Amino acid sequence: MTTVTMERVFKAAPDTVFKFVTQTDHLLRWWGPEGMHVPEHNLSFEAKGPWMSTMQNEEGQKFKVSGHVTHVEAPHSVGFTWAWHDENNARGVESHVTIKLVPDQSGGTKFTLTHAELPGDEVAQNHVEGWTSSLRRLNAIAN
Amino acid sequence: MIEITHLFSALGDPTRFAIVTKLLRDGAQPAGQLQSVAEMSAPAISRHLKILRDAGLVHQRVAGQSRIYSVVPAAVQAIHGWTMDHETFWTGSLERLEAALEEHDKS
Repeated sequence: MTTVTMERVFKAAPDTVFKFVTQTDHLLRWWGPEGMHVPEHNLSFEAKGPWMSTMQNEEGQKFKVSGHVTHVEAPHSVGFTWAWHDENNARGVESHVTIKLVPDQSGGTKFTLTHAELPGDEVAQNHVEGWTSSLRRLNAIAN
Repeated sequence: MIEITHLFSALGDPTRFAIVTKLLRDGAQPAGQLQSVAEMSAPAISRHLKILRDAGLVHQRVAGQSRIYSVVPAAVQAIHGWTMDHETFWTGSLERLEAALEEHDKS
């Protein structure tokens, strides 16, 4: 599986961005793509420990994800593990998210997010990859 | 009500996957045209079609003597929705984070 890396530059200072990426009230303002809401959550990356969120789209479909906060270095970096749950609540392959904030020259923040698969459970990963490529194919044909 | 697990178990067979792929690619088809996906008898194909119908993946319409099969769009959408991957999640979320930060800056 691939590693997702995303970079953004925000006008806000690292202190502010850090609040938005770690504190519950702030996280809930942006957590999940447009149209998702988060009816259930234990969503805070301010300290090490477990977290979870269940997102729901407009059709009522639920997406649960959970993990553990692995490091917090305010206001520079936060890391947490991540795994989607299936509809029987079985937790899937674990991956790891790291968010890094670096001040830029104009008082803003360079934001880098890395979402990496963990090595390990290769059988499970191959299984997921098999499904993902089948589904990609289906979706490509359907669209 | 479409159950994703039913969709996946129905699709987890090469013949049924091929039937659905053909229906998606070529549009609605009579059962007779679907036999080309596998070396199989008509009754065997119709057993597969029954499983696909029971799962909510395929719809059957009777037109005179023949039965026309097509894919249920809601089923494909359900699969599409289920496959929200990391990139989809973060792309959508970061757009909203940027908007939330801008709003915060103004206040």
